Amino acid sequence: MHAMKLSAALLALLLPLGGCKLVPTDKPAAETAEARTDEARMAAYADENWSEKVLPVIAEHTVDYAKLRQALAASVESAGDEYGLRPEGEANPWNFVVSGEGQVTEAKLDSRAAKMQVDMNGDGKPDVTLQIGPIIRGTALRDAMPFIVFTDFRDQIEFAKLARAMNEKAHAELDVPEGDVVGKTVAFTGVFTLRSVDEQPEIVPTAIEVKP
Amino acid sequence: MNIKRRLLLAAFALSSALPTYAHAEGLIAIITPSHDNPFFKAEAVGAEARAKELGYETLVLVHDDDPNKQSEMFDTAIARGAAAIILDNAGADATVAPVQRAKDAGIPSFLIDREIKESGIAVSQIVSNNYQGAQLGAEEFVKLMGEAGPYVELLGREADTNAGIRSSGYHDIIDQYPDLEMVAQQSANWSQTEAYEKMETILQANPNIKGVISGNDTMAMGAWAALEAAGRTDVIVVGFDGSNDVRDSIMKDGIKATVLQPAYRQAQFAVEQADQYIKTGSTGQPEKQLMDCVLITAENAEKLETFALSN
Repeated sequence: MHAMKLSAALLALLLPLGGCKLVPTDKPAAETAEARTDEARMAAYADENWSEKVLPVIAEHTVDYAKLRQALAASVESAGDEYGLRPEGEANPWNFVVSGEGQVTEAKLDSRAAKMQVDMNGDGKPDVTLQIGPIIRGTALRDAMPFIVFTDFRDQIEFAKLARAMNEKAHAELDVPEGDVVGKTVAFTGVFTLRSVDEQPEIVPTAIEVKP
Repeated sequence: MNIKRRLLLAAFALSSALPTYAHAEGLIAIITPSHDNPFFKAEAVGAEARAKELGYETLVLVHDDDPNKQSEMFDTAIARGAAAIILDNAGADATVAPVQRAKDAGIPSFLIDREIKESGIAVSQIVSNNYQGAQLGAEEFVKLMGEAGPYVELLGREADTNAGIRSSGYHDIIDQYPDLEMVAQQSANWSQTEAYEKMETILQANPNIKGVISGNDTMAMGAWAALEAAGRTDVIVVGFDGSNDVRDSIMKDGIKATVLQPAYRQAQFAVEQADQYIKTGSTGQPEKQLMDCVLITAENAEKLETFALSN
């Protein structure tokens, strides 16, 4: 009898729950997010996280370019362990945040995929490419961020749009140089993916300054 | 019935009746699309070999991209009390339910090649970095085209995320070059025969094309056959997958390039994660993982064998 009363009381408690639909409070926001395109959502994500999350990661992991080259020459794995960032998984390449200064040997600034070649060791030959954008290749910036995890995104398509949105955000934040920059000194901070030690890094800059 | 066959049957009966004695670690079900496409065959072979090395019994099944068939196969795997399921799935939406059903039955799923639309149901989803791979293929295509000329894109099956992601990787590169003009873009549903037919028609309407970029290797093979038949072996064709067929074509200066997906290794890696999960309750990896692709040209084609590159 006691037990029956108790279960009746429990049932009474549960019934209203069964009758009404629980609506999560964030539903309206989620619905508008769904209605937007992948591009728009990922652009918003890049915007929202830029100052609070992306820039601190950059600041924390920046290594001097010459110092990194030395470390890479000794061992890619130990250089990666010490300075690199990469998503978990098998055989993912390392990404590095580097800063440095060098002389511009070549520049193509009127393109949608604007680029500068920079000599870092004074031999007159280009050692790195700075991708000025707005079209920037690769996923270095996205893949260097420890807080960005593929599992949190719907699929590869959305994740690719995120990489592109991050690159576009980096471009939007740049002081894009104008005029003839060849021969001038440029200081930069940026991220690149190391696919092989012999390959010239294609850096996605988060800051550049052409010195007069 | 000869003696040999009878013995074989007896052995089979014994192994299925007493799987725990013959294979201490239990059963791993390996479910993929049809082995007619060597890519899926390589996956199945890779997964099976690794599972056996690790002491598992295997059950290899083919769903032919039919979600109903796939669903039945999940029921079979559940009924057989599989320890894990390795899956290259039959649709990003349609696969959510069977993977959930297996999970509810206590059987973890490890997905390869294709994603599903939800996370938190499968233990692992290991896919090729199609975006990165497509950009590699597109860069090579642009170079081969001399940054200019009319071209055609053959797309994969629309329901498959990989079709969309490769196309967007291609265009993120190619669209930077205003002198490259796409004169036709059609789906040939990953199929060689369909690509052959589509290519014939496209070629009639656009006899001046200079290049074809294809969402996979079987379609590239179909397109190349149509181009050969029309005497247009001057057309630049680039594929995606890294099949032995395309490798041979590259070495004969037919198709110019493809992008290797490490399908064999990917399948083995999925089995290793399943093994670790079964034994420790964790794979030590995030659910969704990307594996980088490698550009294949005449320079490294000879090192390619069954979706793996030797050093």
